Amino acid sequence: MPTVDAPAAFRQQLLNAIPRLRRYARSLVFDANAADDLVQSTLERALSHWHQFDQRRDILLWTVSIAHNAFMDDRRRHARLPMADSFETQAELVPAVGVDVGLRIDLMAALRQLPLDQREPLLLVSLEQMSYAECAEALGIPIGTVMSRVSRGRVALRELLDGKPPRTLRPLRRVV
Amino acid sequence: MNALFDQDDFAAWLDGELTPERRAEVEAWLHDHPLDAAKVRLWAADREALRIHLDGVLAEPVPARLSRLVMGASARSDWRRWQAWAAGLAVFVLGGLAGAGLALKSQPAAMPTAAAVALPNAWVQRAALAHKVYVPEVRHAVEVKAQEEHLSRWLTKRLDVPVKLFDLREQGFELVGGRLLPDGAGPGAQLMYQAVVPAVTPTSAADAASGQASPALPKPARVTVYLRKPDAATPAAFSYEQQGPLGMFYWVEGNSAHGAATGYALVGELPRETLLALAEAIHRQGAEAP
Repeated sequence: MPTVDAPAAFRQQLLNAIPRLRRYARSLVFDANAADDLVQSTLERALSHWHQFDQRRDILLWTVSIAHNAFMDDRRRHARLPMADSFETQAELVPAVGVDVGLRIDLMAALRQLPLDQREPLLLVSLEQMSYAECAEALGIPIGTVMSRVSRGRVALRELLDGKPPRTLRPLRRVV
Repeated sequence: MNALFDQDDFAAWLDGELTPERRAEVEAWLHDHPLDAAKVRLWAADREALRIHLDGVLAEPVPARLSRLVMGASARSDWRRWQAWAAGLAVFVLGGLAGAGLALKSQPAAMPTAAAVALPNAWVQRAALAHKVYVPEVRHAVEVKAQEEHLSRWLTKRLDVPVKLFDLREQGFELVGGRLLPDGAGPGAQLMYQAVVPAVTPTSAADAASGQASPALPKPARVTVYLRKPDAATPAAFSYEQQGPLGMFYWVEGNSAHGAATGYALVGELPRETLLALAEAIHRQGAEAP
């Protein structure tokens, strides 16, 4: 099975999922190029595992969980190789049009300081409008965990925007 | 004061994750506790700001390296189909450029490739029209009823492409019959399928949510499969199009360069997922040896 190429219908579905995958990746990785690298790895994995995709499922959910795993793999790899290139580079923010730049930078800076385990569910629920159950499925964690991380994420994001220092220290974070 | 609710409840309320009873309780609480209410309002504002900021990504064009990766460069078995598609596209674009040259006036130069591909194919429009004309028919929905061999042989002979009577019972649809239709240069065929049990209306959830009663179900849902011998320039890629309530999947099977291709359009007033399941069943059965 894995040697058979993905059918056209599947490719079309995957193509349709790209914009939202890119948005999700951007909220994980921030730098546009690095985020697209992550999307690319995700698409490659999806194409080579297309036969595992159950057409009754939502393709975004499926690809988000692939992206999540790809991202975590990458993080683990680079936690051991501190200076190597990784998805999570500390690049400057790419300005978006039509949004107040001050607010945007504050928001993105705050988001970036949010621990990943809170940021991810918060964004999947807020942006992708996933239910807690879907989010739990995509990230492979229990629903109750999604719930508490989303709410902690909201509290922490608000505190950061109010100018309070981040609560949690993250020992895994690389210092550049 | 001992709070009845915590952050998790407020967040779940904001995300619409509570049961109706619980939601009412939280709302009553927020009504009486302005500080908590203000906090939740700020969360909602943060959520909105995140959406506004990151929604910009959705509007960006998909980088070519990503769409190329998905749509073909690595596809071996789809390669021929891809070539046919690209050839069709070239005809489209050249035709478009020639047209633009003639109509030198106001039109900006032909839109780039995506727009050219999105141009509705005339035959797909004919398939939609035939669907709209015959699906409401009660007594004369089809010309020949589902008498398997005769129907299949007749249409195969007239269309000069193998017309299979697809078995969609697994998807909940059974064959009503078929008819021959005029299609541009030659004949086309329409196979009609009907839901075995009255379908659950796709909008019933939305109706329930909006408090409206679902309208009584008059007829079981019907879908039509339109078949034709494609011209060489017909794009082969599996495509989806929506025209008001009508959804359409259309594609070309086989190799049109060798005259052994069949153009398919599946038309129905059904959710995209339902149509997709049907289209994939047809695609699968069409690819099997006769």
